[in-house]
Amino acid sequence: MSFIEVPHPADVKVRVRADDCNTLFAEAARAMFSVMYVTAEDRGVERTLAVSSDDLTSLMVDFLSELLYISEVDRVVFSTFEVEIDGTDLKARAFGEPFDPARHLGGMEIKGVSYSGLGIVRDGEQFCSEILFDV
Amino acid sequence: MLEGMKKIDEVEWEVPVGYVPGMRVPARFFLSEDLEESLEEGAVHQLANVATLPGIVRHALAMPDIHSGYGFPIGGVAAFREETGIISPGGVGYDINCGVRLLATPLRVEDLTQMRALVEELFRTVPTGVGAESRMRLSARGLEEMLVEGVPWAVREGYGIEADAVHCEENGQMQGADAVPVSKRARKRGMPQAGTLGAGNHFLEVQAVDKVFDPGVAAVYGLEEGQVCCMIHCGSRGLGHQVCTDHLRVLESATRRYGIEIPDRQLACAPVHSPEGEAYFGAMAAAANYAWVNRQVITHEVRKVFSRLFGIEYEEMPLVYDVAHNVAKREVHDTDGRRETLYVHRKGATRAFGPGRVEVPQDYRAVGQPVIIPGSMGSFSYVLHGTGTAMERTFGSTCHGAGRVMSRTAAKKSMPGKEVREALLGRGIYVRATSDASIAEEAPAAYKESDKVVDTVTRAGLSMPVVRLRPLGVIKG
Repeated sequence: MSFIEVPHPADVKVRVRADDCNTLFAEAARAMFSVMYVTAEDRGVERTLAVSSDDLTSLMVDFLSELLYISEVDRVVFSTFEVEIDGTDLKARAFGEPFDPARHLGGMEIKGVSYSGLGIVRDGEQFCSEILFDV
Repeated sequence: MLEGMKKIDEVEWEVPVGYVPGMRVPARFFLSEDLEESLEEGAVHQLANVATLPGIVRHALAMPDIHSGYGFPIGGVAAFREETGIISPGGVGYDINCGVRLLATPLRVEDLTQMRALVEELFRTVPTGVGAESRMRLSARGLEEMLVEGVPWAVREGYGIEADAVHCEENGQMQGADAVPVSKRARKRGMPQAGTLGAGNHFLEVQAVDKVFDPGVAAVYGLEEGQVCCMIHCGSRGLGHQVCTDHLRVLESATRRYGIEIPDRQLACAPVHSPEGEAYFGAMAAAANYAWVNRQVITHEVRKVFSRLFGIEYEEMPLVYDVAHNVAKREVHDTDGRRETLYVHRKGATRAFGPGRVEVPQDYRAVGQPVIIPGSMGSFSYVLHGTGTAMERTFGSTCHGAGRVMSRTAAKKSMPGKEVREALLGRGIYVRATSDASIAEEAPAAYKESDKVVDTVTRAGLSMPVVRLRPLGVIKG
């Protein structure tokens, strides 16, 4: 598992690790959807998105916020992600399935992706980030 | 108590300037001795961070339900000067005007012989949980009017009775609400969700007045022992979340442009009357109106259910009051002997205006506004009243709830939802949720005991108990 949940009294905090920045972002998205939905599979739904931000930290917030938006208005649950970052521009493909209350209820509703304590750091050979979600 | 904290009074503590670099004023929080153990260093650090923001008046404040959030701590209150101060989504949060309202009924506990049937009917009627959509058919124009006009719009559209609006803070209509800075994205999220409960700690609860502390004030609020009430706790749904996300992005770069140094990027802010600050305030106020309408539409559905099952009229189910927990407001306060317009941010805190304030509805003005404190699932809720002390000490603010002490994940691990549900049923509380997991994360043990929080604000004189409410039936997302 490339992400774990870090104890937090009120909200949900995840620590994500990956060998490169693209995978770090993809895993952060996977972590977010695993908090929101008890199950998610790639069943043929695909969306592409592009995000540009001022810096890498903002890019993480903006990327995850964009996925929250698409997921809610298109009623889609994503499970896997392909991310390509160039500087502070990001392109991604997200794969998943239509939202189905019978399959997906039981997770937590994420209201927002917080900047609090958010950073993207090198930890030895790996990239690491801790992200706090408002639930 | 944490090192470095200075005792001011029996239940009041000060975080001195210098606790974090750049503090402009000291911070203060209210905490009784039996809540001390629950105090997190991270939450005090977040409170001290608030004290670094420009134009802050007197103290950064926190109520006894203080815990770590993002930006402001939960339970945080801060007031900023109109001329030199800032406005910040970090002091409001993603769920703009998350709040709670109490609906009275003419029923007595003994009238509720079929609690299970009542709760199941409420669960079928009020859209609940992630992905639930409203039955309301809202046009783009309807949404626009709702954002600007709030509860009076809902009443006009048939979702309430005339008396409802005046029993909401701000009369259910925030001044300065502006639909223009509410993005298309926010509107798209808000369109199908007006009148939905949502998930997380949001709930609808059938309760009974269990104990009356102040019969005089209880009578003014129309409450008496043994009476059945209904409590509704929810916010501005995806629309509010998107307003926060959109404007945080703008304010994030504006903060740097205005040369404001902040210790946490979630405290992104702008001067009150800058274009970015005004746009955020207008959109936030519109989202606050959306939240009031959301609770109003749910109220309408609840009244329909009670009317159908018990043959009572809507007018026999008056709205006692509706309070906001997450909001920034333009208010006039006495500061150092002069009256001043301030932007008061309350994040997980409740306005508690005392007697005589013009903002308190005429019928409650002599005793102060009702303060509604929801308990956690299965524990007592309270109605208190605002005080003059709160006006002097906390810009008319008090606590908002019990405050978590255990993470949602830890709560789920400590006791399965099914067991929590059965334990509550054993105590006569029927819970209906979209899943057992969501019951587990809101288990009573995951929260501070609401009576200790209420005891602290009472001892500090910030608000005084009127009645206690016992849960009978709960629906949640």
